[in-house]
Amino acid sequence: MTALPLVGFLALSTALFAVGLFGILTRRNFILILIAIEIAMNAAILNFVYFGAFSNGTGGLTGQTVAVVLIGFAATEVAVGLAILLALNRLKGTINVAQATELKL
Amino acid sequence: MLDGLYGWAFLVPLFTALSFIIVGLAGTRMRRLEWGGWVAVAFAGASMVVGVLIGVGEMVNPGTYTDVRYTWLHLAPAPGPFPNGFTLVVGTLVDPISSLMLIVVTVVGFLVMLYSIGYMHQDRGLPRYYAEISLFLTAMSGLVLADNLLEFFLFWELVGVCSYFLIGFYYERPSAASAAKEAFIVTRVGDIMFLLGIFIYFWYYSSVAPGWAANGFLFTNGTAPYLVGVLGGNSTTLTVAGIMILGGAAGKSAQFPLHVWLPDAMEGPTTVSALIHAATMVAAGVYLLAVTSLFLGFTSTDQLAIVGVGGFTAFFAATMAVVHPDIKRVIAYSTISQLGYMVMAVGAGFAMVGLFHLFTHAFFKALLFLAAGSVIHAVGTQDLFKMGGLRKSMRLTAAAFAVGGLALAGIPPFAGFWSKDDILSAVYSQLGSHPAYWPFFLLAFAAVFLTAYYIFRAWFLAFSGDHPRDLNLPHAHEGPWTMQVPLVLLSALAIGAGLLIFLPGFQSLLLSGAGATGIPPVYGTTDLVISAVSVTLGLGGIALAWLLWGNGRVYALRATSPAQPVRRLLLNRYYFKVGYDWIGAKGVYTIARAADFFDRFVIDGTVHGFERAFALLSNRLRRIQSGVVSDYAAYVVAGLIALFAILLIVAPYVVARLGGG
Repeated sequence: MTALPLVGFLALSTALFAVGLFGILTRRNFILILIAIEIAMNAAILNFVYFGAFSNGTGGLTGQTVAVVLIGFAATEVAVGLAILLALNRLKGTINVAQATELKL
Repeated sequence: MLDGLYGWAFLVPLFTALSFIIVGLAGTRMRRLEWGGWVAVAFAGASMVVGVLIGVGEMVNPGTYTDVRYTWLHLAPAPGPFPNGFTLVVGTLVDPISSLMLIVVTVVGFLVMLYSIGYMHQDRGLPRYYAEISLFLTAMSGLVLADNLLEFFLFWELVGVCSYFLIGFYYERPSAASAAKEAFIVTRVGDIMFLLGIFIYFWYYSSVAPGWAANGFLFTNGTAPYLVGVLGGNSTTLTVAGIMILGGAAGKSAQFPLHVWLPDAMEGPTTVSALIHAATMVAAGVYLLAVTSLFLGFTSTDQLAIVGVGGFTAFFAATMAVVHPDIKRVIAYSTISQLGYMVMAVGAGFAMVGLFHLFTHAFFKALLFLAAGSVIHAVGTQDLFKMGGLRKSMRLTAAAFAVGGLALAGIPPFAGFWSKDDILSAVYSQLGSHPAYWPFFLLAFAAVFLTAYYIFRAWFLAFSGDHPRDLNLPHAHEGPWTMQVPLVLLSALAIGAGLLIFLPGFQSLLLSGAGATGIPPVYGTTDLVISAVSVTLGLGGIALAWLLWGNGRVYALRATSPAQPVRRLLLNRYYFKVGYDWIGAKGVYTIARAADFFDRFVIDGTVHGFERAFALLSNRLRRIQSGVVSDYAAYVVAGLIALFAILLIVAPYVVARLGGG
């Protein structure tokens, strides 16, 4: 445990976030975008865990607790995303976000 | 005796104003159009009764100044342009000169209105005509009674706009519409100068004479001209202001070089010409000069300028009348010329002499115009060379025109003789101390001969001979009684108005007005030599007219005659109108084109440039709103990166430069 410094963990979560962000920006498939969002979010959740573990007990279990709560949030977010996905599919007959331009005024 | 009436002087403009409202609003709804005319005549008659009673009261007890004043607007003293506060008053001032003018305005106005009922009877615009002419009389009598310069100016402008309405009465005719515009625009040049004069008075005298300026430039009842008394006769400011006042008067009274509008004003109905030339419009300019000279005063430079303009105009206008074939225009030029005499008299310091000429001139000029109107009414043309022999079918008109002509030519005992000779001898009496008056005095003298010649040329052309030269003219006959009665009354006045000078009351009326200038007038002491020369010149002019045009003769210049270019020059009015039109067409139009270019390309260009730039920008910007979620996500990321960049790179740099330094 002592061998690895905090910065290495942060580099991992940064890499994960970059992967997620890349997926969000480049994919056109709604499902893949949802997956990419999950990856990016988990990168953030990981940070809470790292900082909780590296705080030497001064913060108690706050970081880990927040991480668990955020996992719950991620689940609800995915549920909402999938609901939108279904509605979109019913409306447009496709899950390609490039064809869903109704957000334009 | 009649002093109690002076407080009721406001009734004079009020009556005609009521007639303006009644005829103007209800005139077209009356069962017969003349009824509106009779209403207007009745009100004008009521005005005349009040006006003449006031005049008689002044003659019985001259020199009484009765000033009835109401505060119209009051500004409390406050720092700024009005440290003493400012009170704008309206009031009526009854004094010798205003009562003299009141007689002229109301009597001539009433007679012209009566005449109009016969003259205008077939016109559909009759209610409009009577409403406008009532307003004209209101404006003029208001101007005459005004007790301060600002009130005077208001009525002055009202007179101007009424003349615009009436000259353009036949507005369907393009020439009438443009004559109306010309009259309005040319007099506007003078009006602006008048206004500048008032500004100078205000700007300068609000410190020298604060109470005076703060009261709207009251015509003070002092014995000496007020401003000259305050500042002495050498003040440059006063000279400039006086020149401005002269400019205003030259515009209204058609003096050189602003004379061009008056002959063209003949486009209006002949009755309007009679009114404009006798009692209203052009009289206002002379009256302004007289009032200014009596109450405020002119410097000696101003006086020379006024004498110069007047004397030159008297001759200059008379030369143009010599060749003109149009009966109305001949009389129009004679008006300009006679106004020149009045202006000259005022300039030489004899305001009351000038106004006396205005008084007699009003009657014989109205008579001449109404007689000419009678001819035009009968034969339907204004061309003298088509008329002829009308003496047989129109005895009354021929006699009336002759009386007017004799009065104009200055043959005793007709009215014009007394007043014109007074002017000539008055100016003559000043020649010793003002040698610069000499050339203008001689010009005015030469104009006496021309005047007699051109007016009798017109008389012989129209009335002498056996039959009209144009055989297609309708058979002439006199107009209805409404046209004949004014001719008879005005003939009586044209004969007798000058003799009023022997009436002690009238004499003292003039004297008490003139007393303010400090220079005694010359009534009764009329210089016999001057009179003899001027009467000889007048008779000579008539004789020449008879030789050339009498008994139906027509004198035609040979086509090769060396005088032809002169004739053309005179017929073209010395090319003044052409010149002014050129200034208007070329000068003003070029400026207007430049302004148009500036407006179109610089101002509009800037505005439209902004518009186009923003349209282009927004066209570009709206494309980023694609509606695609991943694009938006990209913007969010870009914004995030920018935020980090600012927080981490720019902000520390700025803090280091500002906070750290």
